Amino acid sequence: MISVRRLTKTYPDGTEAVKAIDFDVGAGEVFGLLGPNGAGKSTTIGMLTTTIRPTGGTARLAGFDVAREPLAARSVSSVVFQEPVVDRSLTGRRNLELHARLWRVAAQEGEARIAELAAALGVERLLDRPVGSYSGGERRRLELARALVSRPQVLFLDEPTVGLDPRIRAELLDVVGELRNTTDLTILLTTHYLDEAEKLCDRLAIIHEGRIVALDTPAALLAGLGREIVELRVNGDPAGALASLRSHGIVDGDGFAVGSTLTLPLHDRSAADAVAAIDAAGIAASSISTRRPTLDDVYLRLTGGRLAEAA
Amino acid sequence: MSALAPTITLARRRFELTTRTPRELLVPLITPILFAAVIAPALKVALHTGTAYESFVATGTIGLLIPLNTMFSGLSVIVDRETGAQRELLAAPVPRALLPLGNLAVALLVTAFQVITLIAVAVARGIDFHTDAGGIAWFTSAAAAFAIGMYGVAETLASRIPKAEEYIARVPAIAIVPWFLAGSLFPINALPGFLTWFAKFLPLTHGLALVRYGLLRDSSGLHNIWSMSNTTAMAGLSLAVVVLFALALTAVSIRVFTRTALR
Repeated sequence: MISVRRLTKTYPDGTEAVKAIDFDVGAGEVFGLLGPNGAGKSTTIGMLTTTIRPTGGTARLAGFDVAREPLAARSVSSVVFQEPVVDRSLTGRRNLELHARLWRVAAQEGEARIAELAAALGVERLLDRPVGSYSGGERRRLELARALVSRPQVLFLDEPTVGLDPRIRAELLDVVGELRNTTDLTILLTTHYLDEAEKLCDRLAIIHEGRIVALDTPAALLAGLGREIVELRVNGDPAGALASLRSHGIVDGDGFAVGSTLTLPLHDRSAADAVAAIDAAGIAASSISTRRPTLDDVYLRLTGGRLAEAA
Repeated sequence: MSALAPTITLARRRFELTTRTPRELLVPLITPILFAAVIAPALKVALHTGTAYESFVATGTIGLLIPLNTMFSGLSVIVDRETGAQRELLAAPVPRALLPLGNLAVALLVTAFQVITLIAVAVARGIDFHTDAGGIAWFTSAAAAFAIGMYGVAETLASRIPKAEEYIARVPAIAIVPWFLAGSLFPINALPGFLTWFAKFLPLTHGLALVRYGLLRDSSGLHNIWSMSNTTAMAGLSLAVVVLFALALTAVSIRVFTRTALR
């Protein structure tokens, strides 16, 4: 449904926002672009929605080339933007109707879809109020309803939960999860929230400085780090400590240091063996713990920075 | 597929947004009505001129109202981009050139409403207009073409200028300064020689000469520009200037919008 080949965006000032990325998204799949702000996620969505002009490569939506057939590509897709993109002085209903008209949904059909979506997304009672009076969560739900009015084949969600409080964020994730389970909509979402990516996405591409550095299912990405990891905070030189652990064969090449914290995937080794080996190697640690790996660890290993810090 | 339906949808949206912002309708009217209904009659008394001067100034204020209103309309393009739904419209499956055209349709409608209001106020104040069907046709064509051209200027600037504050700072230079040079309060022949020559290149000078030719059947403005004996030929030439201005600025505004909207 989405096919991206060597897609590139270099801005006139020389900034390379997206560097020859490739990926495919199948029909009905939920695909995530995970990375911090500035990684190139929104630029990628901008190129796929034809609001940013690619400087290289190709992208197709439902077979339509976004550069050569932009109208056709736009007609099969909808987007929920990172920032609020609504007519605040118009009612919610008018915002939805405008989308329906522009996407050439017949008036009667549009009304029926608006009623159905408003009920499904819990914005029914708000529809005749100006959008300027909505809360952040209500507006986001309205924007999601608007994107779905035209029954797109491809839905782009650009950081859909940014700026929302935790309760509303959880509710919105449930709504997107429901869409995933009940429709054959292809969804491409960008996020820097790991739980969001893990919960919603069939596959994930981790994007860092404009490049895709990993692409797989969340489970496969996590499996690369084994079932358990040891995290230790060292006194002194963490790079030296990591080198020492490697030389003692306690950690493979996928161990990494961020600040004073070393993260060591255990793979087949037991936690007790690893702790004993660390002790025997003479590493002075102020704390040591074991836990299950997360996507944050995957990201850290690949990019050397925590998502939450980078975002 | 026809571009008419999405253009109407876009124009309806712009109209609804405009009618929810009364300042866009009322503020541009204040200065021209003040000129037509208060300052022109006061000047007549102070300068001991006749009724004709009142009419001269009242028609001249149309040349202030149109640029002011179209420039105010352009402001809404910046609001759309900064806090409105412009990105949603850019992601819609409609040619992007229709966005400025939808805005233009509403700017034209609002301008027509304001010009009619201004003329109604002037008539109510006792200012005379001497016109006929032919005169109204000249007036309507000139006013519409000039409004289209000025909206092109506004849309172009709004596309290129990032902030509303910077845009507003440019309004006096574009909407007001040319008005003083274009024969609005006095014939362009009363200007110093080089300014008279310069004024002949302003589309507003041609627009105002046509407005007066249409509403007052006064061809002196046209004669001051062209110095010809055939009034219809002079009116046709001035109308051609204003129409060219409208076509050129509309084309420029669409090009600038579609280029700057894409990053």
